Amino acid sequence: MNATIRSSGDTVMREASGAAAAPVIRVQNVSRWFGSVVAVSDVTFDITPGITGLLGPNGAGKTTLLRMMTGLADVSTGRVTVFGEPVRDNPPLYRRIGVMSEHETVYGFMKGREFVTMMGRLRGVPELEEAVDRAIALVDLEDAQYRPMQTYSRGMRQRMRLAATLVHEPDVLILDEPLNGADPRQRLHFKHLLETLKEQGKTIVISSHILEEVEQLADTVLLIVNGKLAASGGFRAIRAALDQRPYHVRIVSDAPRRLAAAVVKLASVDAVHVDPDGALVVLSRNVGDLQLELPRLAQAEKIGLRRVEPLDDSLESVFGYLVDA
Amino acid sequence: MRSVYLLTLRQLSGKWRLGIMAVLAAMPVIISVIMLHEATADPVTDFEEVVLGAMLAGSIAPLVVLAIAAAAFGNEVEDRTLANLTISPVPRWRIALPKLLATITIAGPFIALSAFFSAHVGFIVDWQATIAVTVSAIVGVAMYASLFVWLGLVSTQAIGVGLLYIVLWEGFFAGFVSGARMLSIRYYAIALMHAMDPRRFAELDHVSGTTAVIVAAVVIVGFLALSVRRLRMMDVP
Amino acid sequence: MTGTVFDIGYQSYSGVREGRGRARRAVFKDGLRAALGLGRGAKAKILPWFFFFVLSAIATVMAIVAGAADRLGGAGTAEKMHLPSHSDYYGIASIIMFVFAAVVGPELLCRDKRDGVINLYLVRPLTGSDYIVSRWAAFMVVMSTAAWLPQVILFLGLCGGDPNPATYFAAHWMDIPRFLLAGLAMAAYTTTLALLTASFTSRRAYASVFLVGLFVITTPFTVGLAQEVAGTAGQWISMFNLTNIPVHVNDFIFGDVSEVTKDAPARQLAPWIRVAWYFAWTLVPGAVLWWRYRRLSA
Repeated sequence: MNATIRSSGDTVMREASGAAAAPVIRVQNVSRWFGSVVAVSDVTFDITPGITGLLGPNGAGKTTLLRMMTGLADVSTGRVTVFGEPVRDNPPLYRRIGVMSEHETVYGFMKGREFVTMMGRLRGVPELEEAVDRAIALVDLEDAQYRPMQTYSRGMRQRMRLAATLVHEPDVLILDEPLNGADPRQRLHFKHLLETLKEQGKTIVISSHILEEVEQLADTVLLIVNGKLAASGGFRAIRAALDQRPYHVRIVSDAPRRLAAAVVKLASVDAVHVDPDGALVVLSRNVGDLQLELPRLAQAEKIGLRRVEPLDDSLESVFGYLVDA
Repeated sequence: MRSVYLLTLRQLSGKWRLGIMAVLAAMPVIISVIMLHEATADPVTDFEEVVLGAMLAGSIAPLVVLAIAAAAFGNEVEDRTLANLTISPVPRWRIALPKLLATITIAGPFIALSAFFSAHVGFIVDWQATIAVTVSAIVGVAMYASLFVWLGLVSTQAIGVGLLYIVLWEGFFAGFVSGARMLSIRYYAIALMHAMDPRRFAELDHVSGTTAVIVAAVVIVGFLALSVRRLRMMDVP
Repeated sequence: MTGTVFDIGYQSYSGVREGRGRARRAVFKDGLRAALGLGRGAKAKILPWFFFFVLSAIATVMAIVAGAADRLGGAGTAEKMHLPSHSDYYGIASIIMFVFAAVVGPELLCRDKRDGVINLYLVRPLTGSDYIVSRWAAFMVVMSTAAWLPQVILFLGLCGGDPNPATYFAAHWMDIPRFLLAGLAMAAYTTTLALLTASFTSRRAYASVFLVGLFVITTPFTVGLAQEVAGTAGQWISMFNLTNIPVHVNDFIFGDVSEVTKDAPARQLAPWIRVAWYFAWTLVPGAVLWWRYRRLSA
């Protein structure tokens, strides 16, 4: 599997080569701001059939991005197309899209079956009764379907909402934090369900801030940090790529060349540049060890260190986030 | 469309709500009965001013319609269930129109019956006058409904703004500044009523019946169109 | 198999905790901020400040008109012409104050009910009655300001507009305690009724519409009915005109008749009855309100 990782300025790219199915969802240079707050910043990616996970810390912009992908929110700049058509202000397209938002409110007074039936009717499902039966069976709620939804537990409500999202058998499924409050058994059930849908050739996008969920479910991962796309590709490949990707650390010292000569001998250092302004840029794949070895070295060589700073700030957070989990 | 209509009917009818509306609708009728009983002089202007003008048109009708109409979309926006409706392959007007119709279906009968019986009693079985009052009441309800449904979609402070419009604008200013009356729904509903029964109301000051009908149509269709537009342009929560 | 729980050093606060008084003041201050839309973004400020503006504008217009009359016709013309003055202000502005209370009052109680945070408040050394008293006090401050500010503006306007401010002041300084008291009466009435209604529902909208409906609809209802029914029955029907109840008190304080209550049959009842009626309509709802919250506990 291939992976692409972006960082500030620097582009270490291993282009995703090899066959990809035609992209179903295309997001091109999309940005969204609210007043002076930028929620999503110049994001571009394609989504192909299969399960794609949208991963990122809370507040990273996942929900905003999803809402733009579903046409619920407008973009400030850029384009979003699904099956080649713009998704905004395009009601007929919704026949092929199923959306489950993160909000859990339902029409409490309605019975579960009534809710799914109403959603089916709105979406023009033929042979409605059978479709509703299938959808409810899929989420395993046949017993509770004739009770009002305000009597449901939280997990049951989520499942019934999922049934309503599936009743019209959409080709594209966009789910925002679908496993909020789901117990392990529901998680398992959900995983099987998604895999079945994937085998049918559907395109599924799930957003989550929980690493394990996405790890188990998604083939491809989009990592959003601070509104920007920080990494995309196969999960394992991202991990591997991160491991293999060296970090740039800038060091300002009293005696750069002497320090450079000493530093290059360290095991944690891959390479050293000397900048024209006299700063060292050290490439290292083991920043942890470097943090310990560098001060000792400087002390031994009696060289004063003025500044030590990592240059890959955004990637630091990505790195930390993925590895801490 | 039927689904949205039925859904909205269920959302907007609750026992308390319907009960309070029934009580409010009964009040003008009760007054009319009592007024008839006491039978003092100068019936028409008095009756019209107090019962029809102040009570029905001035307070009960707009308030009842406000409470219902603002909730039609307002509740969906507040509860964040509007997306259920917008993420469906139906043109937006098929979402806005049933909402409006459901609002009129719920608020309309109460106001219409109230108007009918008040007029029936107050004008002592004068069918033309009674029909004039009832029809113009229904048209008034439709106008207020269209305005307030749109307001509920557009603003989270719909009730506050709606109350200001009813009490301050239509109640206060329109009384003093004759130009403001042109922008007041109540004025056109009453003008329609006058036009439909000129025998009784001819001497009172009003705009022509045709104008009233045109304005009513413009208001109803116009705010509906604005609601449709808003559904297309808004960020749905 | 054993398990261990580690103390990872979360520090619990071991310092001085301020007591109940501080908690009450905090609820009060929060109520004040909620009503005025402070700390809640621009949109929340529009309605309350708009009401302040309208009320002040009315007073300003009254002052200007009176000042113009005095300039044109010499000192005292405004009074001779019986132009609206302090004693009339509350009659004129009453409906606006009611709508203000109806629209803004529920902000203080309905949100907490909806979000279920009252239980969180009660975990602190705060009782249910502390909560409602603080909220009531906060809204009382807002309504009193809304009641007093325009009158102060009016007084300053009349004083300044008079060719000889000093004599005007000497002649009319008694108006000040009068309008302060009348304003307080108006504020207490609207605050208590608004908060009582709000305490029944968690949706602000319903409380607001119900309140306005109550005021706006009972007015023509009782007026119309009272005109038809003669005698004591008519007078008492007129007493149920909720918008006039505090205005009768206003009349009593100023010893004057205002435009709004001039024709009300209720005027034929003795002043003490009308004042007692006011207290009934303020104290009883107040007691119910207090009782509703008093029995709450965490």
